[in-house]
Parts: sequence; C-alpha cells; structure tokens
Amino acid sequence: MSRRGTLAALATLAVAGAAAFWLVTRPSPLPAAAVPTHQVDPRNGETLYHAGSCLACHRPPEGAGDRSLPSGGTPFPTPVGVFYPQNLTPDAETGLGRWSEIDFVNAMRLGLSPDGRHYFPAFPYASYRSMAMADLLDLRAYLMSLPAVRSPSREADVPLVSLARRGVGLWKRVAFRQPLFSPEPGRTPSWTRGAYLANAPGHCGECHTPKDWLMVADPSRPMAGGPHPGGEGKVPSLRGLLARKKYKDVDDLVLALQNGETLGYEHLSSGGMAAIQENLARLPESDVRAIAEYVLSLE
Amino acid sequence: MRLSKPAVASLVVAGLVLGASLAVVAADAFQERHMAMEMVGDAMKPLAAIAKKEAPFDPAVVKANATTIADHIKKASALFPAGSGGGESRAKPEVWTDAAGFDKAMKDAQAAAVALQAVSDEAAYRPALGALGATCKGCHDKYRIPKQ
Repeated sequence: MSRRGTLAALATLAVAGAAAFWLVTRPSPLPAAAVPTHQVDPRNGETLYHAGSCLACHRPPEGAGDRSLPSGGTPFPTPVGVFYPQNLTPDAETGLGRWSEIDFVNAMRLGLSPDGRHYFPAFPYASYRSMAMADLLDLRAYLMSLPAVRSPSREADVPLVSLARRGVGLWKRVAFRQPLFSPEPGRTPSWTRGAYLANAPGHCGECHTPKDWLMVADPSRPMAGGPHPGGEGKVPSLRGLLARKKYKDVDDLVLALQNGETLGYEHLSSGGMAAIQENLARLPESDVRAIAEYVLSLE
Repeated sequence: MRLSKPAVASLVVAGLVLGASLAVVAADAFQERHMAMEMVGDAMKPLAAIAKKEAPFDPAVVKANATTIADHIKKASALFPAGSGGGESRAKPEVWTDAAGFDKAMKDAQAAAVALQAVSDEAAYRPALGALGATCKGCHDKYRIPKQ
C-alpha cells in the first residue's frame, strides 16, 4: 500500500473507532412516562436519606455553611481524581429545585444528569439502581422539603474530564450487567429489609465489597472487604463477624451502629465510617436491627 | 574551607549516629504511644459495659478507669515527634501538618476523661461517657488511617 493509502486507512479506522465509542457510550435516559403514579411519603424518604448516609458525602466543607444540610462541595478524593458532590437541596439554580421526578430517577437508577451526561460512579448509583421506584420518589420528596442552599456544582478534577465522563458509558455497560438486589426466599421480613437497606440505599458494598480490575464490585465476594477506595489502608470484611468474635450478637451490633465510638466501638471511627455510623444512628431502631441481622448473617 | 579526611569521616559518622538515634526515638515514640492508646482502649471496656447495662454503675470503677484514660492520653500526646509516622503507625500526616488541631483534639479528650472521673450519679454517666467517646471518635476519624 502507498503511504497515502496507509494514512487514509488509519484515518478511517480512527473515525470508525470514535464513532463506535460515541455509540456505545451514548446515554439512554428513561422517559417521563416511566414514573408511576405515587402518593409520596417524605418521612419514608427521610429514612432512606439516613440509610444512604447522603449527608456523609454531600455536606458542605467545614466552615462553608450548615453542615446538617446536603449542599455539597466537600472534596471526595479517590485514586482516579477528586470529586465534588452535588448540592442536593432544592435551590433552583444550583440544587435539585428544577429537577423533575424523572430527572431524579435517571440520576439514581442510571447515573445520568438532567442534561443527559454520565455521572462518575463515585456517586454510587450502581447500588442505588436497586432501590424501589416508590423509595426514590419518597427520597426526592424529602430532599425537596429541605431548606434551599445556594452552592454551585464544581467539575471533577480528573484528567481529560469530558472524555473520561463519556467513557463512563462503557463502564456502565459492564457494571449494569450485575444483577439487581432481590430478596432471598425463606428469609424473615426483617432480614430482607436489612439486606435491602444495606445493599441498595446503604451502598455498603461500594467500600466493603472488593472490586475487580474494571472497578466493578465482585459478585462472588460480597462484603468481603478490600483495599480502601481512598487509597490508604483496608476496608474490613463484614463476613463472619460473629465467628471472628467482632460482635457478640445482634444487640451488640445494634449498639455499635447507634453509638459508634461514643460507646467504645473504636472500629467504627476509621476510614470514613464515623460519618456513616452517625447517619445510620438516625434510622428507626427496627431498621438498624434489620441491618445488623443481615450483616451478622454473612458467613 | 578544606576539611581533612578524618574530619569528613567523623562528620559522616556523627551524621549517621544522629540519624539512627532519631529513627530509634521515632520508633520508640510509636511503640510507647501505641501502648498508651491500648491502655485507653482497655479502660474504655468496663466503662462501656456499664453504659450497656452489662455491669452495675460503680463510681469507684468509673473514677479508676477515667483516671487511667486521662493519664494515658496525656502521655500519648507527648509521643508524636516529627517523623514518627509511616510504617506500622496509623497516624495520618495531618497529625503534624495540622499540629494545632491535633493538639486541641488530644486536650479535649483529656478534659472529657477528667470530667468523667468526677461523675458520681448514674443519670450523668451516660452523657459524660458519650462526650469522652465523641472526642476519641472525632480525633480517630480525622487523624487515623484505616487498619492495614
């Protein structure tokens, strides 16, 4: 082939490759008709808000406003780059004020922004996509009931951020092949509730389940622990906690989740778990107990 | 200035000895503060047992363990010389880059343990223990890396 011919072939390949990338990473949001008629219950939404520890990541940085509200902006460092969680208060300009129900569902289920771009999976939608539709709508209703705070979004500090963001579409093709959470037959209602809270809104597996080389949770080793996503130290396994004598019984783990280190459970204030524990402590006791039952059943 | 060979050699040796001693001091500091923190953790156990109603409220037990905690936190506070992080230590670099914040966190913990020593009435016990635990938690969350 002549040199010109080679160049032309390479150029054609590059164009074809870019077109293929563009096609397979194309976001496909759900249509508004996917939202069912539902009488919202903001109190249930508040429970899910605490179960998901939304505030742990979405609170403002120290000294930058009311830290009891999820107005976002606290840097979330990962080995990939630094992310700045979004403002979840109903501010029209900078928060969720103008988001419709389907916008919220698309964010939580598919990791898509209202303008149709991929969110980086530091926002753990791979877990949230297992949440029930009614729970998503209730959670949105609770967020919309909070005071609005102005706090503009900030783009992630990631190399080649636009390309990387588009590339998340590829990652989703692999990550979304994982089965959604589904109840196990023969379990008690409390265990099932705990398993749902821990896996879907609670997204415990985002840190406690080891990831494969594509950063997708390994379904064969749920909650088995692994390297800390922050890059330093390890996340403990949640399996065999009773056999390894980490906790005596369900009551013991309930007290641990409700009180953390204020009752001497020092393992619960390490690697970011302190903020999670504080949020879980706000759940109704029956839900904390359900999570404890589920976690202690992991062998 | 020209230095004779023996002078250079002695300087090199002196430097090595100094470096080695600093490393030993740092390693000792880590071991000692680690022991002190383990004592604090052990003293927390009977106190937590009372709050969990696994043991009866006994002001003498409270006083003894709160004193152990206050003393050992004070001891540990002085055992964070520069360069004693890394390796086995779970201290974050922030212990030294935010020395003022770390120092305050240690002082708050010590003050909370001292306040707990004087608690003689059961109703005040749980809040006082919670206040102490919160200081441990606040400091651990900010200045301690996850277990290796």
